Amino acid sequence: MNDTELSTMVRESVADVHSATPVAHIISRGRAVRARRRTPGVAAALVVTAGTAVAVTALLPSGHPGLLGSGHPGSHPVSARLAAWTVARQANGDIDVTINQLQNPAGLQSTLRADGLPVNVSFSGPLLSAACLPIPPTSPDDVLSAVAQFHTSDGSAFLVIDPSALPRGVGVAIFDEPGAGVPPSPSPGTPTLGSGSPPGITRPPAGITGPLAVGLVYASQQCTG
Amino acid sequence: MGVGTRQLDFAEFYRGAADECLRAVLVSIGDQEEARDLVDEAFARAWASWRAVSRHPAPEAWVVRTALNAGISRWRRRRREIPVPDPGQVADLPAASGAPASLVDPRIMAALMRLPARQRQVVALRLILDLDTARTAQVLGIAPGTVMAHLGRAMAALRHDLQPELQQENRS
Repeated sequence: MNDTELSTMVRESVADVHSATPVAHIISRGRAVRARRRTPGVAAALVVTAGTAVAVTALLPSGHPGLLGSGHPGSHPVSARLAAWTVARQANGDIDVTINQLQNPAGLQSTLRADGLPVNVSFSGPLLSAACLPIPPTSPDDVLSAVAQFHTSDGSAFLVIDPSALPRGVGVAIFDEPGAGVPPSPSPGTPTLGSGSPPGITRPPAGITGPLAVGLVYASQQCTG
Repeated sequence: MGVGTRQLDFAEFYRGAADECLRAVLVSIGDQEEARDLVDEAFARAWASWRAVSRHPAPEAWVVRTALNAGISRWRRRRREIPVPDPGQVADLPAASGAPASLVDPRIMAALMRLPARQRQVVALRLILDLDTARTAQVLGIAPGTVMAHLGRAMAALRHDLQPELQQENRS
C-alpha cells in the first residue's frame, strides 16, 4: 500500500461525514459570539460600578438628609416630576433623584443633563452605552461615594448626586444591571452590604422592576452629553 | 461591504468548506458530535470576524485551527471531570463517534486516534483539507520540515496498523 492509496483510504474513511448545520444557525450563533465579545468588558465594568455602588450604600448613614427628597427643608421646588422618577435640585447644589420605576431613561437623562450633570442613564436596554467607558476599578471608591449616595426604601431608589465632587472629565452612569439587584437599605449602624457579595444584594421589594446601579464613567459627548 | 454581501460570501464559503472542515476536525479528535459542535462554533466565530477571516489565505484552515483550539480549551475545562478514553478503544465505543458507525470507518478512525495529536492534525490538514506543506506549517505554527516528518511518521504508523487487516481482507 503506497502513500497515495493510504491517503485515499483516510479520505474515504470520513467521506460520508457531512455538516448538517444550516448556515442560518451558524450566523445566529455568530451573532451570539459577537455579543459575547462585546459583553465581557461591559460586564466587568458593571461589576466594578455595582461594587462601588454597593460600597456607597454601605457607607450611607441612616437618616441621610438627601433621602428626604423634595420634601427636604431648603430644597428647591421639584424641577421635574414624573410617575417613574423625580429630580430635585437642592440649595447646596446636590441633585436628588428618586426612581420609582425604571422607565423613561431618556427623560431622566435629559433632565439631569439640563441640571448640568454629565450623565448616562440606561434602563432595560444595552447594559451600558458603547460610547461609555467606565472608570477603572483602581479608582478609589471614595470618589464615587463623594459624588453619589445610593439608597433604597419602599421599592424606590434614592440617589443623591453632588456634581461639584465630580473630578474633571468624569460623569455618572445610572443603569439597570440584570442579576445584581438594588442594594437594600442599610440598618442604622450596620452596613448590610459587604463588598458587593451576592448575599447582600436583593431585589427591590416593589416599584422598581429591575436591579439598579450607579457608577462613574469617563465623560464624553457621546456618553454623558 | 454591506451586511447582505458579507452574509452571502460567508454562506458560500460555509457551504463549500463545512464538510471538509468537519472531516478534518473529526480526524483530529475522533468524536463526531464534538467535532460538529466545534466546527459550528468555529464557523460562528468566522462569521463574527468575517471581514478579517475572508481575507485569510486559507480560511478553511483558520476554521479548523479555531475549532481545534476551542476543543483544547474545552478539554482544559473538563479534564478533571471527564476521563480520557483509551485511544485504542475508540473503535469499540459505539457512542464515541456519536453517529452511525457506517459514516466513519472504525478501523481507520481507531488507527488515527492512536497517532499523536500533532500527527493527526498534520494528517487532517494535509490529507483532508489538502493544504500544502508550507500552509500546514503556517497553520500549526511549526516548521515545514516538521510537518513532513510528522506526516511521514503518521503514514508509516497508519500503514503498519492497517496493512495486516487489509492483507487479511484480500486473502479472504
